[in-house]
Amino acid sequence: MKPPVFEYHRPGSLNDALALLGGHPGVKPLAGGQSLIPAMNFRLAAPDALVDLNALPELSGIEETADGGLRIGAMTRHCAVELSTAVAARAPLLAEAMPFIAHRQIRNRGTIGGSLAHADPAAELPAVMVALEARLVLASMRGGRVVPAAEFFTGLFATALTKGELITAIEIPPAPLRTGTAFLELARRHGDYALVGVTAVVRLGAEARVAGSRIVLFSVGEGPVRATHAEQSLAGTAGDATALRAAAEAVQRDIDPSSDIHASSDYRRHLASVLTRRALTTAMARAADSVR
Amino acid sequence: MIVEGTHFFPGPREVVWTLLLDPDVLAKTMPGTASIVRVSDDRYEGTMAMGIGPITAAVFDVVITMTDRAEPEHYTMQIEGRGKFGFTRGKAAVTLAPDGAGTSMGYQADLVVGGKIAAVGQRLLDSVSKLMLRQGLDAMTRELEHRLAGGAA
Repeated sequence: MKPPVFEYHRPGSLNDALALLGGHPGVKPLAGGQSLIPAMNFRLAAPDALVDLNALPELSGIEETADGGLRIGAMTRHCAVELSTAVAARAPLLAEAMPFIAHRQIRNRGTIGGSLAHADPAAELPAVMVALEARLVLASMRGGRVVPAAEFFTGLFATALTKGELITAIEIPPAPLRTGTAFLELARRHGDYALVGVTAVVRLGAEARVAGSRIVLFSVGEGPVRATHAEQSLAGTAGDATALRAAAEAVQRDIDPSSDIHASSDYRRHLASVLTRRALTTAMARAADSVR
Repeated sequence: MIVEGTHFFPGPREVVWTLLLDPDVLAKTMPGTASIVRVSDDRYEGTMAMGIGPITAAVFDVVITMTDRAEPEHYTMQIEGRGKFGFTRGKAAVTLAPDGAGTSMGYQADLVVGGKIAAVGQRLLDSVSKLMLRQGLDAMTRELEHRLAGGAA
């Protein structure tokens, strides 16, 4: 299979890249090419031109910021994030999610920014970024802006990116004290699209009660889905088995999963509650451990 | 694939009926519709382009045939779509019932999608159809409100 004819540009500076992206109407940025190139080879996507971002080293790298957070360049490969000790220390939720992204070959090539811009409803990273309250740094010829992850994902394969705009970096704020996180997903085979996935961040307050939480599911809707009913149900409780079961039950009011040949909507609903309870159990235990 | 649900239109049933069968309104409101023509009382022909995420190039020739049409209560559509990337066929039943000052629409479609589009995008078909239908019905509702407010077609 071969793609239809397209123009190929490989700019050597971000400015040149932005100028090219702003100029053509049918132009697409090429990051790791792990979704775009197969779509082109199937001839399901037919961009007039590609702007290859692989000659822009300034878009790659993982930086530990002074506030205790992270700044990850958009062109950083999944494998670099997966193996980073800085990520493991400062954003363990992200580190825990990385091995679930496709297969190693794909993680060697695919990029964190590419995955976020693609916004597949079954993708791990959008949910992780919403759970971690990450910010996406965007640039275009018109200037730069920073968009919270929760506002970046706007629907099925839809994001806040406008024509000619690129993600240049992802900023992850430092985790508050007494926080525990957990990531869980279920797929029939490792590397398949998740049937359901759950990310959980739990923060403990006074007397070891749950001060706040962020529970974000994926593969149950059009994008990452924040389980606000479950979060409300958990708030202020001791996070014991009864409270976690109630939160897992409340997830049902937050999701509207689709059916496909891999799993029915009802089965996804069932999995969502089971995985939420398990993820919250782990996140609670980790939060409690961090207090000791 | 079964797509079913209800939708509330804030207008009288006769007006909603007219809108739903008007090819110009369908072309304007249904996402991806490049053209649609009423070739006879019960037959529409058109072209639709599906664009979602990485898929930007899926164009279908669509033929819709109306059966058991009972104005203004219900109709059934036989749908046949064919394109380079696959095909779809099936039927959709639509019912309209008065609901206060408005109209409650019920729909149930049973569609088969095959070919490359189904092989590659199977896991997304359900979400994409729901999304396109919602966008279409929302646009149709806006069109209805516009007309009731005295706007021209």
